[in-house]
Amino acid sequence: MSKILSKSALIAVNRIGDIIIPHSNEFPSFSEAGGIEHIDDIMSYTPPGDVKDLNMVLSILAYCPGFVLNILVKQMLSSNKKTGPLSPILRQLDIGLRGIVFTCYYSGKTGSSYKGKNPLDIIGYKITRLED
Amino acid sequence: MAATYDFIIIGSGTSGGVLAHNLQKSGAKCLLIEAGKYFKKETFPKNEADASTQLYWGGGLEFNESATMAFLRTRAVGGTSIVNQCLMNRFDDIAFRDWKTQSEVGFFNEKDMSSYYEKVEKALVLHTFDKSEFNNNAKKFTAGCDKLGYKWDYLQRGQSDCALDKGNDCIGCLGGCRRDSKQSTMVAFIQKAEKIGLEILTEFTVDSVENKTDSVLVKGEKAGQKQVLTAKKIILAGGSFGSTGILLRSGFKDRLPALGKYFSSHPQFMSFGIYDEYIDSHKGAFQSVASKDPSFRQKGFKLENVFASPISIGMLFNSVGKRHQELMRQYRNMACIEVAVRDEPSGEIFLNKKGKVVVRKELTTRDRSRRDQGLEVIQNIFSNSGAKEVVHSPYYFGLHLMGGCVIGSNAQTSVVDPDFKVHGMDNIYISDSSIYPNAPGINPSLTIMALSQKLSEQLTR
Repeated sequence: MSKILSKSALIAVNRIGDIIIPHSNEFPSFSEAGGIEHIDDIMSYTPPGDVKDLNMVLSILAYCPGFVLNILVKQMLSSNKKTGPLSPILRQLDIGLRGIVFTCYYSGKTGSSYKGKNPLDIIGYKITRLED
Repeated sequence: MAATYDFIIIGSGTSGGVLAHNLQKSGAKCLLIEAGKYFKKETFPKNEADASTQLYWGGGLEFNESATMAFLRTRAVGGTSIVNQCLMNRFDDIAFRDWKTQSEVGFFNEKDMSSYYEKVEKALVLHTFDKSEFNNNAKKFTAGCDKLGYKWDYLQRGQSDCALDKGNDCIGCLGGCRRDSKQSTMVAFIQKAEKIGLEILTEFTVDSVENKTDSVLVKGEKAGQKQVLTAKKIILAGGSFGSTGILLRSGFKDRLPALGKYFSSHPQFMSFGIYDEYIDSHKGAFQSVASKDPSFRQKGFKLENVFASPISIGMLFNSVGKRHQELMRQYRNMACIEVAVRDEPSGEIFLNKKGKVVVRKELTTRDRSRRDQGLEVIQNIFSNSGAKEVVHSPYYFGLHLMGGCVIGSNAQTSVVDPDFKVHGMDNIYISDSSIYPNAPGINPSLTIMALSQKLSEQLTR
């Protein structure tokens, strides 16, 4: 499915993605929308060292229980108010993981089996780009 | 080794484009080096996701050492000028006075810089907005300012034909202009220089430079293959991180004690007013006004009327789950103002053990005070223009990366001399934003161009 992220890393992204964007009346959950199918479009420009680190972290997170991931996401979100040796890592995780999730979700691309409304249509984002 | 080129210019952004054009036009044999790809109007990425990943270093964002501040740095021919809003402002007396105080460089004043500004302004198509071009975001901003008695002004932007009257939405041009209307250095300088013989080497990463008696070696690699290029003179135009990193990797820190110091970035903090009605800040002229209140200038901050595409907006809110969805559902109801702080040049750029550039830059007490004063004004503007809720993003970022190789007469406290030459090296020059002695508090692009104009005239004299 991906040439860049491992199978377990993809599982972790989907699990964390569903915490960040769960299913609601209007919005599909992250995994339902299926934008992760296009993860290689997003990750192919990431420096190789960062990809390696990300694969390693995500592969560990893939096997963590749900409550641990929930705690991690909460810690990530509050990391910008914290100091201490772990806070820079949490801040990088926050930007890195939310970055992947939001980029997949709001890229305009959805999964091949998804039949619902595109998240960009739900929020009403439409722009006109006129060429010559 | 005989020099192959008269000049090698490293970096094709706001400075490099002007230099390459002027030097090539003078008859010199020039090579312009760029680490990124050469996108053209037909090949710019089609959406926000692709633009973020393909046009920026780090696949989108880079961070300071503590990961509290993000930096956006473009990697493509034209550099930052292809993704910014091409806002073109001359510096005022306050900015030049503070530069002159720190650098002791005599030409830092409005009068002496005037002819260089005029020449680059003449090379660009400039447009000043008027009320008829306002989108609702600008209308909310100006209405709030008017009610509170704050002065604002129309922005001057480099653009030839944005087709706003035909419905074009220029938020898309943050990923490159599809009309070649934006006066990026790619459009205004590089493409013209190519027609008269400028050579461009893309996707080439410069590692270091070596100063010889009559030439300079430029060492780097393309597609994993190491190469050494030679020129009689080189000009570093890779911006704060790029130019400073090259000199650090070249081992110049010992003889240039100020190398890497005095980094500033105009940290920007975005706030959102949420209204009952649709604002549609993403439509029309993305950025057409800014604050012009003398008291803000004195206090050291500026307000800009901006917005962002959905991925960036999602990132700016410190929320997930239902709260995230509640905010994103109101994307069309949001207006946005950012406060840009005239920060202290307290940052430092250095290399880690792996030779990677690290930026140590935290907000100082004065920076935080300036931010807080700006946020208070923004709160009042939104409240007085009908916002039902105001959300201040806790995330902030630097778009104007300045310092690291600052200009000055003293080799102990600066890196380049008043002739833009690296102290003690006759053939290595710098004229990009890395030479800025401190943060001007004004958009830096036009002045980078004017300084590059000055250097190119000096080199061709």
